[in-house]
Amino acid sequence: MTRVIEARDLSKAYGDVQAVDHVTLSVEEGALFGLLGPNGSGKTTMIRMLTGQTRPSSGTATVLGTDVVTDPVGVRWQVGIIPEQETPPSFLTAMEYLRFVAAVRRIPDIEKKADWWFDFLDFADKKDVLCKDLSRGTRQKLMFVQAFIHEPSLALIDEPLINFDPIMQDVVKDYLAGYVKKRRTVFISTHFLEVAEEICSAFAILHKGRPLHSGPVTELKEKGEHLPAFFLSLVRTDRHV
Amino acid sequence: MFELFTSMMKEEWRVHSTMFGSLSFALFPVLIFGIALMGSFLLPLMRTTLPAGNLTMIVHANYLMLGIMVGAFGLLGNEVMNRRFGQASFLSYSARSLPLSDRFIFTNFVVKDTIYYFFLWVFPFGFGYILASPFTGVLIADALFLLLTLTLSFLFGLCGVFFLSTVYAWSKPVLLLLLLVLGAGIGGLSALAGLNPALFFPPLLLNSAFSWTNLLLSCAVLAALFGISLLLFNPESVGSEKKYKNSFTPLMERFGFLPNPPLAAKDIIDLYRSGSMVGQTIFSFILPLGVIWFFLSLMDRFFPPHGLLFLFAITTGVIASTMYTWVTMFDTFGPYACLPVTVSTLIASKLTTFSILQLIPAAFIAVVAVLSGEAAVLVPAVVLGISVSFYAVSVMAWLCGLSPNELVYDVKVLFVYLVLVGIVITLFTSVAFANPSYALSAVILAVPAWWFVEKAKIRWDAVDPAGF
Repeated sequence: MTRVIEARDLSKAYGDVQAVDHVTLSVEEGALFGLLGPNGSGKTTMIRMLTGQTRPSSGTATVLGTDVVTDPVGVRWQVGIIPEQETPPSFLTAMEYLRFVAAVRRIPDIEKKADWWFDFLDFADKKDVLCKDLSRGTRQKLMFVQAFIHEPSLALIDEPLINFDPIMQDVVKDYLAGYVKKRRTVFISTHFLEVAEEICSAFAILHKGRPLHSGPVTELKEKGEHLPAFFLSLVRTDRHV
Repeated sequence: MFELFTSMMKEEWRVHSTMFGSLSFALFPVLIFGIALMGSFLLPLMRTTLPAGNLTMIVHANYLMLGIMVGAFGLLGNEVMNRRFGQASFLSYSARSLPLSDRFIFTNFVVKDTIYYFFLWVFPFGFGYILASPFTGVLIADALFLLLTLTLSFLFGLCGVFFLSTVYAWSKPVLLLLLLVLGAGIGGLSALAGLNPALFFPPLLLNSAFSWTNLLLSCAVLAALFGISLLLFNPESVGSEKKYKNSFTPLMERFGFLPNPPLAAKDIIDLYRSGSMVGQTIFSFILPLGVIWFFLSLMDRFFPPHGLLFLFAITTGVIASTMYTWVTMFDTFGPYACLPVTVSTLIASKLTTFSILQLIPAAFIAVVAVLSGEAAVLVPAVVLGISVSFYAVSVMAWLCGLSPNELVYDVKVLFVYLVLVGIVITLFTSVAFANPSYALSAVILAVPAWWFVEKAKIRWDAVDPAGF
């Protein structure tokens, strides 16, 4: 199996705060990888480093064979990204935003592709509405589309389900599960432990910026353990260390 | 309810101080104080070329403009109003979950802005002048009086823009009608009295001859402007689901000859749909320049032939350079964080959009040249103004990257900006005064401008952008 993400001893400090502390992890092609951790554990910083948004204080990382420090734009050409806070530009309509993304990423046949997505995520009636006037859930849908519309071989998503209603959560979970079957990889960070257990093939747990555990979900299942209980016990124990 | 006001003050301070450090921001009023203190000692020298009355007018004009700029920031039209109030992280928005009326919050917001910027900009200047007064032969009572009239000038700018922007958000045709009536009224009064209309500015009237009537008149006008703003204020601008036809593709095709057509098309759409293209042009460009024109024209006889036009062209150039803040105020790097775009690409794209906007100052200087009967020097004046604008914006891009609206309050940034731009202004004012055709030499500014832009790209690519 090819490793699509390789991080070695990755650290990031913001002044005195150690957001990520010597994290080493690898993600294999075709995985749906879940990065789990409580608030402030360093998940978002990890995604930011892996997508070249912030430079690591130390350590190295490659994404799809591209170094995140020396060629961050090269990384972003290849991957799809959904930030934690949805940020489509206020004054473009939903459709114009996708045209904008297509123009920057040089994606052909955008009208046809966009129409498929509008139907698939059930917001075709909002395509000509300004992004600032969209609900949070609809903006999240739009951000989801911009990350997947060029069918990247790797997508990195910060909290993929956070603003979706239960029906849309189901649609998105099915989509992600189907996406990785085509030898593509999805890297998510989430608080939804049940969802992670349901859809992820592998996971890592961060706490206070440090890695507590990483491995396949099947390993837990074989031991008869559940991810939420495992997570809580690991994090609670670490709190008292 | 005083808690809301004090919390807003703390919030404003923290917004600024967290951007560039408490000390650096705290030094900003100290810098203004220093400029006023040292400037006061140069007064005898200045008086040899300019009468004291004209200096007073210039200072009042500056503070009126400052008030206009502070007021204009974030209060232009419904959408920009919403941008300011729609930030969940700001008290002016989040306080709406408390049992407080929108008008109460808005009043607190305006009072907070008034006091905050008074201590940031107005008081340090007045205090510097007051401290210097025992050594400059100025009576302390006169220095205190100047502080009062400067404060009134500042408040006129602030409340005037709150008033105009509220009317703008309420009804654009009414604003247009109001401006026409105001223009006709001022023009008529000026024609009847045979005086420059700037002399009717209440704080200046008060400064030239104190009377309780003049003081009350100033306060009454301010109260009326603020009262009407409050009455017409309506923060509800969200919830509409108006549909728009595709403007992006045609604009992108039209800008096909530019380096980054999609980014330029997005910027122009931002400006147009937010109402800022018109709003900013009126409040941050034409209005301040109109004020400057009034005051500069009072000093025409002190300038060489065409001097007023060239000085005005240079001033227009400096103000036109702030159009960079128009194109950078709508987004952080966040919306681009998920795209293969670097900060340097964005800076280049914002400067491209800025270049398109330079048609406005070029046309403005040309119109002023023609109207003032100086069409013969139109080309050098336009070249001078636009060259200064490009030079000043390159310095701004180098110093501030994509955040000029925030970093302007960093004392180090402001100081370097003032020095680098001040040297060029002084140099090219002298050159243009020596001979109007020499103003064409300002095209040489393209060289340092290009150098600063290249430096800006390298510098800001090396900094972690404020992303998601």
